[in-house]
Amino acid sequence: MKQNDEQNQENVLFVGIDLGTSRSAISASNGKREWIESYVGWPKDFIAEQVIGKPVLFGEEALQHRLSLDLCRPLERGIIKEGIESSERAVKEIIRHLIDLAKSEPGKQIHAVVGVPSDSLKVNKLAIRRAVAEHVQALMVVTEPFAIAYGMNLLNNALVIDIGAGTTDFCIMHGTIPSEEDQKTIFTAGDYIDEQLFNYLIEKYPNSRFNKNMVRQFKEKFSFVRTLDEDIRVELPVDGKPVMHDIKNEVRRACESILPALVDTTTEMIARFDPEFQMKIKNNIVMAGGGSLIRGIDEYLQDALKEYGACKVTRVKDPLFAGSDGALKLATDMPAKYWEKL
Amino acid sequence: MRREILRSVYEDNLVMLGQGRSLLTKRRLYLGKKYLIAALLCIIAVLVNGRHVNISFSPTELTAQTAMMNMAPALPPPAPEGVPNPAELNSVAGSGNVALSRMFGLKIKTIMIDAGHGGSDSGTVGKMGTKEKDITLDIARRLRQHLEAKGNYRILMTREDDSAVSLNRRVELAKTAKADLFISVHINYLPQKPINIIETYYFGPSTDANILRLAEQENAGSEQGLSDFRAIVEKLGKTMKLQESREFAESIQSNMVRYSRKQNSSIQDFGVKRAPFVVLLGLEVPSVLAEVSCMSNREEEKELQQEGHREYIARSLALGIFDYLNKGDLTHEAKR
Ligand SMILES: [Zn+2]
Repeated sequence: MKQNDEQNQENVLFVGIDLGTSRSAISASNGKREWIESYVGWPKDFIAEQVIGKPVLFGEEALQHRLSLDLCRPLERGIIKEGIESSERAVKEIIRHLIDLAKSEPGKQIHAVVGVPSDSLKVNKLAIRRAVAEHVQALMVVTEPFAIAYGMNLLNNALVIDIGAGTTDFCIMHGTIPSEEDQKTIFTAGDYIDEQLFNYLIEKYPNSRFNKNMVRQFKEKFSFVRTLDEDIRVELPVDGKPVMHDIKNEVRRACESILPALVDTTTEMIARFDPEFQMKIKNNIVMAGGGSLIRGIDEYLQDALKEYGACKVTRVKDPLFAGSDGALKLATDMPAKYWEKL
Repeated sequence: MRREILRSVYEDNLVMLGQGRSLLTKRRLYLGKKYLIAALLCIIAVLVNGRHVNISFSPTELTAQTAMMNMAPALPPPAPEGVPNPAELNSVAGSGNVALSRMFGLKIKTIMIDAGHGGSDSGTVGKMGTKEKDITLDIARRLRQHLEAKGNYRILMTREDDSAVSLNRRVELAKTAKADLFISVHINYLPQKPINIIETYYFGPSTDANILRLAEQENAGSEQGLSDFRAIVEKLGKTMKLQESREFAESIQSNMVRYSRKQNSSIQDFGVKRAPFVVLLGLEVPSVLAEVSCMSNREEEKELQQEGHREYIARSLALGIFDYLNKGDLTHEAKR
């Protein structure tokens, strides 16, 4: 089988794509790895297009020009909003842009594995298929936590917890492709922390000026649970003048707001299996996604689960690309005969 | 194992495209069977016990909850013993229109029900995705039905659908409508604690950190900060409204606890407290905020997805309101 594949691989660029609520990434078999923020913006009118000079903007750049753009975050809450045309169009743009970034040589076929949040229902997967199909010659869609697990070789006796922006996805691996029952999605994730932090800051500093985007940046820079030695201070304008604000307590409270549901769901997922398998899973818990970067979150989970016996929680090394790398590995491992029909 | 997994990924995608049969179909059949069994068990249990029984459903089934919420309230399941039933509501409400002349020299005519949160503000969200805003709206609608059916009152709601209404706007609505009584319905969420509690608040100063934290959550939609309230709270401190609100809160709380204890003995009575909630501020009439349930408790979240449970909460709120209204009526205690 290997020999057949090699012949094909000459003309094929394999790519793994992670379509995330807040960030999307691509890993390609030519070694390229790129990511963008999952925002797409189109100029509102002809004048805006003249000023901006591009028909479509992505990520940070789109956010900066948000006043002159129709902005779309198509995977909000982890799914394509079915029926909303611009969401599907935006996903198409994200895919096209990611594939451009991967710089395929002209004439090469593209075979893609795309990881999507696990609560995507069948309709959403179809919508994603439609959006991707234009830009690739063969395509497979898998769930995001499964792609991560596959990429890390966690095929058996493992639990992957992927804390994204809109959702936290749990996926138990026991030697087969995970069924609906091996996966669970909860909605306490990064966006939820942003909301909490925003509310706490409004409450504490009613006269200071800040917006949701700034709050998200505070979270990404300072997030932690339990304790932290350093102070957390940020400069915010009050009556037009910059003033230092202590936000440490608010950051901690906001980050900790996702912990109860995280611990409960983890215990619930593990408890479904027989005790022997439970032991194995508990020693193989891997946290991924942007939320895994919250300082102290892995130790917190490990301590919380210790009540029920020994366990080991680790974090993926590169949360930004863990999903796309896993999807790429799936793409390259996939036998050629399977690609032919898709 | 790896080869097997790759093949399943391929087959899974074929199925997605509408080709090939496989795992997914099998799984769906299996789930279907499970639903059927669960439904049968449910029917049998109701027939045998004549009461509502909680059976744990699989998570996929629970997502049907939103659809369920949009349906018109159907007939509630038969009431367990000791729980507010329509007959009891009738007997209590019977003396309903007399009261309160003792305090204000006027009768309660308009009751404003405030379903907490709404629209883009979901309130707290349970681990299975249940949203506070949906539950409070459903309970508020049911409460209105009971109040309309049993008493000679004008019943108004601050929101009748899933729309966003700012906290200040809610206060305004109650004022403009000249509401005589105001009740705000909320669901609690206790991070870190698995317990299930019921508590009722009326507006006033508080030093308790946990209460302030809850107030922060519930006030999230308002422009005003906690500090703004201090001055107003001090002025309010000695007014009649405070006393009346506390009595109102006590009636609500005791009726909710009385009912829920019979359902679930582990529910804790956290009593009546004062807290600086925006929706209770600025109303000159007795007003309370009831945290009728606690979403962080998993069992309770499952219960809240059951129509029967929401119906009973609404009934116990109605009982609490009638109870309060009747307190001025000396014959009332004798009747109970
Ligand atoms: Zn609330």
